[in-house]
Amino acid sequence: MLRDIIKKEILDNITSPKFVFTFLLCTILILLSIYTGVTNYRAEKKEYTAALALNKKNMESQPNYQSLAGIGIKISKPPQVLGTVVTGIEEAVGRVAPVNIAADPNLIDSKYSSNPVFAVFGSLDLMFIVKIVLSLFAILFTYDAIVGEKEKGTLKLALSNDVPRDRLILGKAIGGYISLLLPLLIPLVLGLLILLITPDISLSGQDWARLLLIFLLFFLYLSVFFSLGLFVSARTSRSSTSFLVLLFVWVVFVMVIPKVAVITAGQIRPIPSVHEITAKKDAFLQQIQSEGQKGVIEWSKKNAADAQKDVKAYQEKFRKFIQDYQQELTSKIDENNAALERDYQQKKRAQQSLAVNLSRISPASALTFGSMTLARTGIDDFDRFLASVRAYKPIYTKWINSKLGQSINFQTGETIQIKIDDMPQHIYEPQWLSQSLVRTIPDFALLAVMIIVFFVGAYVSFLRYDVR
Amino acid sequence: MLEAISLTKRYEDGELALDGLTFKVEPGEIFCMFGANGAGKTTTINLFLNFIPPTSGTALIEGVDVAKDPLKAKRHVSFVSENVMLYGNFTAVQNLDYFSRLAGKRNLTKKDYGAVLEQVGLQKEAFDRRVKNFSKGMRQKLGIAIAVVKDAANVLLDEPTSGLDPQSGREFLEILVQMRDKGKSVFMSTHDIFRAKLIADRIGFMRKGRLVMMKTAKELAHEDLTDLYIQYMEEQPGQPAPTAAPSA
Repeated sequence: MLRDIIKKEILDNITSPKFVFTFLLCTILILLSIYTGVTNYRAEKKEYTAALALNKKNMESQPNYQSLAGIGIKISKPPQVLGTVVTGIEEAVGRVAPVNIAADPNLIDSKYSSNPVFAVFGSLDLMFIVKIVLSLFAILFTYDAIVGEKEKGTLKLALSNDVPRDRLILGKAIGGYISLLLPLLIPLVLGLLILLITPDISLSGQDWARLLLIFLLFFLYLSVFFSLGLFVSARTSRSSTSFLVLLFVWVVFVMVIPKVAVITAGQIRPIPSVHEITAKKDAFLQQIQSEGQKGVIEWSKKNAADAQKDVKAYQEKFRKFIQDYQQELTSKIDENNAALERDYQQKKRAQQSLAVNLSRISPASALTFGSMTLARTGIDDFDRFLASVRAYKPIYTKWINSKLGQSINFQTGETIQIKIDDMPQHIYEPQWLSQSLVRTIPDFALLAVMIIVFFVGAYVSFLRYDVR
Repeated sequence: MLEAISLTKRYEDGELALDGLTFKVEPGEIFCMFGANGAGKTTTINLFLNFIPPTSGTALIEGVDVAKDPLKAKRHVSFVSENVMLYGNFTAVQNLDYFSRLAGKRNLTKKDYGAVLEQVGLQKEAFDRRVKNFSKGMRQKLGIAIAVVKDAANVLLDEPTSGLDPQSGREFLEILVQMRDKGKSVFMSTHDIFRAKLIADRIGFMRKGRLVMMKTAKELAHEDLTDLYIQYMEEQPGQPAPTAAPSA
């Protein structure tokens, strides 16, 4: 009997105009999003390779270490291959972090800042389509699942037989869900084929595992709206009411909660603005610079007598002093900046974590955070990248300071030609799958809990449903 | 056999929909129940199908208490409702197939379905047409076909002739007579006094949840049913609805 109910549900859905409409729209949108993702990824990869080469060439072309210290080094974040399906914050946050002696590294040069029109329309990635469009389809498939049958009179007719209500709701749920997945699976498989055959895209075993987990998250997210639809359909007596209630809940879940959560977190845990932090850093830099000038003058005065005795020894002593003093001042700046940054980052993390946790009441937020973590295009990944650049900065500073000290030839006044072969390299290790999984467990769990709650709600409501 | 024993239903808002209803429909009998809208006819059917629980009293189908063992009771009853829309995207045969399977008839062939649809008077060319394009009469015939296929010992019909044209109405009556001849107990709620008079073995009148009159076909033979209908349906101010003595 269960099989008959499932079969009927699938057949009823796939012969309906809404299925044809959903299938066509899903195919167009999913393929379009994957095509856009692939095109963007290829462009970003090309840009990344070019940026690396250009940065190296630029550094090598500097006449001396002073000018090299002036321009610093630009570290580009490698594009993530799964950004093809979940763009995340890649386009909104900068992709390049300049590292130099003075400033604290930060991400600059985002796609949105270079071309604000992208910010106006946002990205059309697969996650966006699932979050907005397909969740609406899930509602479209279920808003009248029970109440619609009541209106048609078929529910009375079915239950005039010895059909247990629990079996009927189970059959409707399974059949309805299969019908919802059908228009999704075909374009998704086609999309995967596109990823497979595109020459510039190579997915490792870990990427495939991540992709499957992202798809699992998508299906869980759609199941939340599907079971919610069943629940509301089993609590209302008119399909128009059911649709309106579901639309309202959808807006609250997808639009309102995530935004309100961020605003609330900002109110509960305020953080100083970036300008405030920058002003503090600049003030300290100025203070150190004037201290430095005073220090050099004082040293010169104190050692003026030595300059008369042995010029060569004095120059060597001065070179050593400058090298050590520069390192000392840079360390002070770094320490101060690091302390300010630590405090700022700690406050920002607390605010972010509050916003994330508050917004997780919404399945849309759980989907967003979970899929971005799995695709390595989320806040975590960028924080991780920036942290690696900040950890690299003192290493680089030490190296450039040592080069600066050695590069001054006091006899000739000439500077030594630069060599960057021994420059320490920035190493960035992206998050491992196991780490990502641990971070996404709350998202998977929350979606699963919502599915269970809504389905049990639908089940219990249907057992008591007035079929008349 | 269908049997109602002191069946009472009071809704949550306090409305008394059925007040101690007692009657019996024997095998091979057609019982037609009249009553104005809200008299309690549909409530009676809903109680027999366990769509609502009784406040007190018992509804029995083949001796099985519907409230106690609804699934077992429903095995022995077919139901035709007033205005069933069915599954519009399905053809007549697909609708029939689905409901037959729900009724436990799994081995029927397309030929069997064709025979039943023909029996209820549906045109052959409509068998494989989508039901959403059907007229109300065609849908009603399909609803009757669903009841015929189930082949249960008891049949409940809730105003089944509404919307049927004279030809379809006549075909429908023939089917009911065939059912009676096969020994089925048929309970039909209706406003259609003319068709009811043609086939009913007994007629009951309901008012305010009570069975106020019950007569056999023999007793009705020389009476004007329209006058009776008007007489029993008209509410007499200040006078409680009388109760008919149960008769088999």
